[in-house]
Amino acid sequence: MKKYSEFLSIMIIFSVLSFSLQAYAEDREITLGGKNFTEQYLLTELAGILLEKSGFKVNMKTGVGSVIARKSLENGQFDLYFEYTGTAYTVYFAQKDREIMADPDKVYQWVKKADENKGLIWLDPILLNNTYTVMMRQKQAEALGIKTISDLAAYVNTHPDELEFALESEFWERPDGFKEMMKHYGFRLPPGQVKKMSVGLTYQALKNGHVNSAMGFATDGRIAAFGFTSLTDDKSFFPVYNPAPVVRKKILDTYPQIRSLLKPLAASLTTYEVRILNSKIDVEHEPVRKTAEAWLRSKDLIK
Amino acid sequence: MISGVFHFISENFSQALYLSWEHMWIVGVALLISAAAGIPLGLYVAGHEEIASPIINGANIIMTIPSIALFGIMLPLLSPINLGLGKIPAIIALILYSQLPIIRNTFTAIKNLPPDLVDAADGMGMTRWQRLKEVEMPLAAPVIIAGLRTAAVMNIGIAAIAVYIGSGGLGVYIQQGIDRFYPEMILSGALLVSVLALIVDGIMAWLERAATPEGIKIQRKLMQ
Amino acid sequence: MRKPVSTIYRALLMTVLFIAGILAQRVGLITYITDPYEYPVILDLLLRHLYLVAVSMSYATVIGLAAGILFTRKRFRRYAGICMYILGLGQTIPSLAILALSMSFLGIGTKPAIFALTIYSILPIARNTLAGIFAVPASMIDAGRGMGMTSLGILLEIEIPNSMKIILTGFRVALIINIGTAALSYLIGAGGLGDLIFTGISLMQTEKLLAGAIPITLMALLADLLCELLGLILVSKGLRLSRGEKAV
Repeated sequence: MKKYSEFLSIMIIFSVLSFSLQAYAEDREITLGGKNFTEQYLLTELAGILLEKSGFKVNMKTGVGSVIARKSLENGQFDLYFEYTGTAYTVYFAQKDREIMADPDKVYQWVKKADENKGLIWLDPILLNNTYTVMMRQKQAEALGIKTISDLAAYVNTHPDELEFALESEFWERPDGFKEMMKHYGFRLPPGQVKKMSVGLTYQALKNGHVNSAMGFATDGRIAAFGFTSLTDDKSFFPVYNPAPVVRKKILDTYPQIRSLLKPLAASLTTYEVRILNSKIDVEHEPVRKTAEAWLRSKDLIK
Repeated sequence: MISGVFHFISENFSQALYLSWEHMWIVGVALLISAAAGIPLGLYVAGHEEIASPIINGANIIMTIPSIALFGIMLPLLSPINLGLGKIPAIIALILYSQLPIIRNTFTAIKNLPPDLVDAADGMGMTRWQRLKEVEMPLAAPVIIAGLRTAAVMNIGIAAIAVYIGSGGLGVYIQQGIDRFYPEMILSGALLVSVLALIVDGIMAWLERAATPEGIKIQRKLMQ
Repeated sequence: MRKPVSTIYRALLMTVLFIAGILAQRVGLITYITDPYEYPVILDLLLRHLYLVAVSMSYATVIGLAAGILFTRKRFRRYAGICMYILGLGQTIPSLAILALSMSFLGIGTKPAIFALTIYSILPIARNTLAGIFAVPASMIDAGRGMGMTSLGILLEIEIPNSMKIILTGFRVALIINIGTAALSYLIGAGGLGDLIFTGISLMQTEKLLAGAIPITLMALLADLLCELLGLILVSKGLRLSRGEKAV
């Protein structure tokens, strides 16, 4: 009995201690959120390293869907995360103006202004465009003469049973996603031929022939590595997706240095560079942190 | 493949350690709270058998709910108070899952006490509380701990799924392993979870033995 | 004392269900399910889920029983301990991991999902078959031998019927975990109700989440009930009564 109560008291003290340590708001502590695909892991890690080197204690909560990330930022569970201008415009604000969404500067200014009213500040945007793409295996696309999404639409309309498409459920449902894309391009893929799976698996599914077309992210290194081609969005369905750190006003007011700490990312990270980094992570299976650190060092942004 | 796993863990050692700690923290807190809630509940139910059936059935029903469904339901339930994501909903779900083994074992343990011992305690003039403390609990302890052990091992496995509501832990290796198509990462995650489960199972087994009063141990030996 | 408690309990249950119904309408669940465009999709996912469960459980039951029985036979008895240990070990690996590993080696889609589900469901069934048959009192087996039964006869008429309760428990555990794990098979492209759950989570659409979570819960509860009924049929009355079971 004595041993039992001793053990119990040790466990209680331990858990109270660790719980309070977790909840204790240290000086300069910040929670970074991130979504569940490679580029997001990379961006969050880059920001995390830059902030850490300046003395912040960084908590990273990555691997969630877009809407969750957004809601978490709004209700304070995240302090900062990287959001894409196009995503905010079409999904969170449900806007449809094609002229604005195709212009990187216009769409950035629009979402920045709209979010200021919500106490969310958009910092410097990184000028890479991580748009959704429709991918096919290069060889098959060439064989079938498909270069644009319109070509794909035409093919589906003439051969409805042949095409199978891999995507994740978020892309299916979003206003800038597959269902709407089909409407925009005037084709309809029978439901049985749409294969839904976890977001990173679509590349694998296309690679091993499980499907003949798949959704992807434009900056992913696997497109080149696996011999895929991205079909041209000839009817300009997708908006521009530039990532930018979005931070809660309260946090920025408390630590205004965050803006300048993260600025170098906007200056140095290009589409070309990020593709290489994504490739290192996805194709060569390098740890995200190692890749991020190496790149920051190569740009003299950290020691 | 196996060498790939070792390579992965050694290359990401501090991260693997951190995720393992995160995983155990979630399970540990959940276990402590479920014990604090479940054991008294089991004791109460043992004394009031009329509501034993509904409560234990209720716990059984909760445990039948598939884990991803329970984690998922935490989101809309706790969102209004900004707790929908992260460790807290995961912990709450794990607490709910642990109730059945803990309550049921506590109930069975108390019910199966030799009635003559309980009588003897009453005969000696002990109060309810003294009887509980000096006679019932020491005798029931091993079975109660067995219930905690079941709950702990079960929770370690289930906590891996909680990654999908943002709780972190070793499930991260499985989630990212799927998305990056990185079998070594998945295997590392699975291996670490198993190792943790084995360690905890071992510790709880030791606790079970340690909690068995000397007299009972001797009695068992003599009966063999 | 019984009557008031059970009435309170029943009243409480009714209130909970009523509130749940109102909440369901508020989050748009009823509208979503009855939408003529969405309804066939949901049904399709439900059937796909049942398919995954049914196929994998069939394989798992056959293989699990066979494996369990095998290790109780004289020749393999010494490996029984190791076998139990490995089976126990396998159960500590999260179901998600087994699905993911299956995907790594077998690709994406229904086949790897069924493979993973089968493997994961074999464990409790085999373990309980093993434990159940070992728990049959040696005296009964002796009696059977004394009556001139063959080994096969003993197996079929003494060992299995007497361990049926434990085997059934193993089956029940396997089935319920299977239903839950099949929800995760969405991640590796096998479809099922997990589609709705994960979509609901990632897009924070509660109606989708519930449209997936509720059927799967009901499925698990029904399976539990089914197993109890099976128990009434398969476990002989004498055994059920002799254990002096209470209604807990």
